[in-house]
Amino acid sequence: MQKSALHILLADDDEDDRLFFKDAFEEVKIQTKVQFAHDGMELMEHLMHPDTILPDILFLDLNMPKKTGKECLIEIKKTDHLKHLIIAIYSTSSSEEDIEDTFIQGANIYIKKPSNFNALKKIINEVVTLNWHYHTSGLNRDTFLLRLK
Amino acid sequence: MKLIPNFNSPRALRIIFAISIFILLFISSVSYKHNRDMQNSSKSMMHTYEINIQLERLLSFVKDAETGQRGYIITQNSRFLAPYLFSRDKVNRSFIALKKLMADNPKQQKNLKNLFDLIIQRYTYLEGSLKYSNEKTYDKRKLDNCMFGGRIVMENIRFQIDEMNDVEKDILQKRQKIYQSEISLTPLFSISLFLVALTLILLSYRQISNDIDRLRVSNKKLLISTKLMAESEVIGAFSTWQWDLDTNKMVYSDNQFRLLGYPPNAFVPEKDTFLNFVHPGDKRTFSNLMQGIIDNKQLPIIYYKVIRKNGEIRHFKSIGKLLIDEQGSKIILGITFDITEEHFQNIAIYERNKELEKSNKELASFNHVASHDLQEPLRKIQTFISRISDKDKDSLSESGKEYITKIGTSAKRMRILIDDLLLFSRTNTTKKEFLKTNLNDLLKKAEQELSEILLEKDATITSEMLPKLKVIPYQIEQLFINLISNSLKYSQPNVLPEITISCTKVAAAAFPNLLEQSIKKYYKITFTDNGMGFDPQFKETIFVLFQRLHSKTEYPGTGIGLAICKKIVENHNGSIIADSTPNKGSIFTIFLPE
Amino acid sequence: MHALKLPLILLPSIILFSKIILFIFSNIFYTMKLFIKFDINTVCSLFLKEKLGERQVNYTPLGFGEIELDKNLTAEELESMKNDLEPLGLEIVENQKSVLVQKIKDAIIEMVFMDENGNNLKSSVYLAEKLNHSYGYLSNIFSEVTYSSIENFIILQKIERAKQLIIINELSLTEIAFLLNYSSVAHLSTQFKNTTGITPSAFQRIIKKRRENLK
Repeated sequence: MQKSALHILLADDDEDDRLFFKDAFEEVKIQTKVQFAHDGMELMEHLMHPDTILPDILFLDLNMPKKTGKECLIEIKKTDHLKHLIIAIYSTSSSEEDIEDTFIQGANIYIKKPSNFNALKKIINEVVTLNWHYHTSGLNRDTFLLRLK
Repeated sequence: MKLIPNFNSPRALRIIFAISIFILLFISSVSYKHNRDMQNSSKSMMHTYEINIQLERLLSFVKDAETGQRGYIITQNSRFLAPYLFSRDKVNRSFIALKKLMADNPKQQKNLKNLFDLIIQRYTYLEGSLKYSNEKTYDKRKLDNCMFGGRIVMENIRFQIDEMNDVEKDILQKRQKIYQSEISLTPLFSISLFLVALTLILLSYRQISNDIDRLRVSNKKLLISTKLMAESEVIGAFSTWQWDLDTNKMVYSDNQFRLLGYPPNAFVPEKDTFLNFVHPGDKRTFSNLMQGIIDNKQLPIIYYKVIRKNGEIRHFKSIGKLLIDEQGSKIILGITFDITEEHFQNIAIYERNKELEKSNKELASFNHVASHDLQEPLRKIQTFISRISDKDKDSLSESGKEYITKIGTSAKRMRILIDDLLLFSRTNTTKKEFLKTNLNDLLKKAEQELSEILLEKDATITSEMLPKLKVIPYQIEQLFINLISNSLKYSQPNVLPEITISCTKVAAAAFPNLLEQSIKKYYKITFTDNGMGFDPQFKETIFVLFQRLHSKTEYPGTGIGLAICKKIVENHNGSIIADSTPNKGSIFTIFLPE
Repeated sequence: MHALKLPLILLPSIILFSKIILFIFSNIFYTMKLFIKFDINTVCSLFLKEKLGERQVNYTPLGFGEIELDKNLTAEELESMKNDLEPLGLEIVENQKSVLVQKIKDAIIEMVFMDENGNNLKSSVYLAEKLNHSYGYLSNIFSEVTYSSIENFIILQKIERAKQLIIINELSLTEIAFLLNYSSVAHLSTQFKNTTGITPSAFQRIIKKRRENLK
């Protein structure tokens, strides 16, 4: 399938979560390049930089210092060259309000951080596969909504 | 609005009086006329008699002259001539009198003239007979002629007089007749009119006295209610006022003065007097409002402050209503309340409410954040455990593996606890949006949610038709899920779980200790199962947070599920009770307002 | 005739290209930043035209990523062309399997979206007839290349269609279920939820609010 590496960007302030994420992607069959932002500010600076290669999927933690995930999401959706990014919310919260709100703000995927490494791998696999389908099969990205528990 | 009670139309009374007075006037005028007629009639009678007498006298004078003449002729004594001589004069006078008396009657005047002529003729004959009877001029033939002629003339005179008398008598009779006819009707008519007037006056007197009685009674009532009003105004700290929009006259009730810090009637209120008391901050709104009253003829509720005579600031509330009375004058009737105490109480309540709300919110967010933030490290613990047991399992000792499993179990239990706690705090904090929902649909959703375990336990759920109610849908669904899963969890081994749901409508009055009585009707929905049940002595405690009847190794659980049920039902102003027969089953009954 | 399919994964080269342009501009104007919008298709065809023109090969473009050559190339020629195109990020897909997978996908999309009767037919029969291969063979190839099953892909497409229909908001969920050949609304709802993680009504609500949000 994908010959060049899939670009993944995770914005999460939690070191352990970044580690799990990196490990999980390493164990996934797909060839990926995973980058990290340590908080919302850093993420936005990175995305706004002209040299940045935009990620295929942006994973966004909601609860981050300096700038929350929700603020980043709103900002991204307001920026012309970023608003078509596929955004996956990656959060501890399972509150229905958070989920619906972020979907309304333009998130494509909502992932509740799993408490099991295998579950994380499964989720990542699912996201990447589905994203690839959206990429290659003419599916409408505007109505790309996925909620994973 | 009727201001004055109806005291049998003063207008009718006025008409009765007018009629009575008219009748009396009529009666008096009639009797006046009657009197005049009588007078006239007696006058005319007198008149006739006078004429009669005068005529008789005239005749007697002529007779006197005749007698004198006769005496003279017989005696030739001139002394007998005296009556004759005087009679001429008397006749003349009598004539004049008669002429006067008969001036109004041309026919009689003519008759009188005839009589006069005849009398003159008679006197001519008398003179002739005197002349011819004289010794010196005696002439027997002429004397006889004169005597005889005199006799005939005399007869004519008599005849004429009789005729004249007859005429007078006729007139008299005619007059008498008219008079009679007039006088014969009058008394009956007068008396009947008088009686009518009397009746009317009596009737109206009765009416008036009745009215006066009623007036007295209602006056008394009015007096009492005025007193009562004045008292209640004092007790209730309110006052009334009237503002006549046409004359701009203001009337304050006694308490209005008191509310402003004055004794009653301490001053004469005018249109703008009140404005002087209004707090400067409210003056503009208030005067705008006064203008509004004049323009729109009404006064909505207005809140404002006034400064009393002694400088004390009070909070007032006023409402007014336009009243148009029978005369068409427009009066604003107003009530003013002194709501100072209420105002401050309200402020206090408001503040307390706000505080309560704040602390509630803090508590809720504390709950939420606590459970949320607790999840983070726990999730990591669990993930690391899963990593260890995946990757490094082989390098662990046997006891190490066991410990890892135990850590995993504990972590899992903690996760369930936190999840349930979060769920519990959420039943309190999230938006409570009530929607008209078919409970059957919610039950179906709940069954779908539990489909796996229902299948696994081969459980059957039978339900009666449930109503459509205004509820928070996801909470009721949660309630159903919790109740059903509770029944499934405590099912008896080797007995297929059966859950029966029934629903009836009940009156709140039937459960006075359980249900809020201000809501009249409730739906009573019972969940009956054939599970292991519980000791009925715990039927209240099972709803308490973290209360468990079993050890957690026996039946895992957090003791939050039923507490959530209770919370949800309470959110809906309902009630939940439980009962059980151990080893037979339990009944959970929920009451939801209609 | 030799049909070559060229999935043109030329993103890196495009970015390189744009970077060069940017570099030039930033050197001239120092701090000026420019965002270049480019049309992959145009850029791609330009490069192709240039490279194939050098070799005097005539071709007809068949749409995105597919061209038809007017003569058969030798293996040697093909190899040299491959080496030529690679630095530009253009890659010749030799894998006939990929081509077949693309055809399966096209057929499925056609079945779900266009052919009104397609949804009533059993998809395995439909695909086998349409592509002239046994369903088992197709299924194997598909899973091998995409790591997901044909069934999954059909569900994905059906849900995609359902999404469209929900957004258009002309049909009720019952009618949509019927149109897409589901046995019941519940079946559609369940599959929708399993595929997207949210219910159809939540989906509708979210899209509606999202659009209001944009206004």
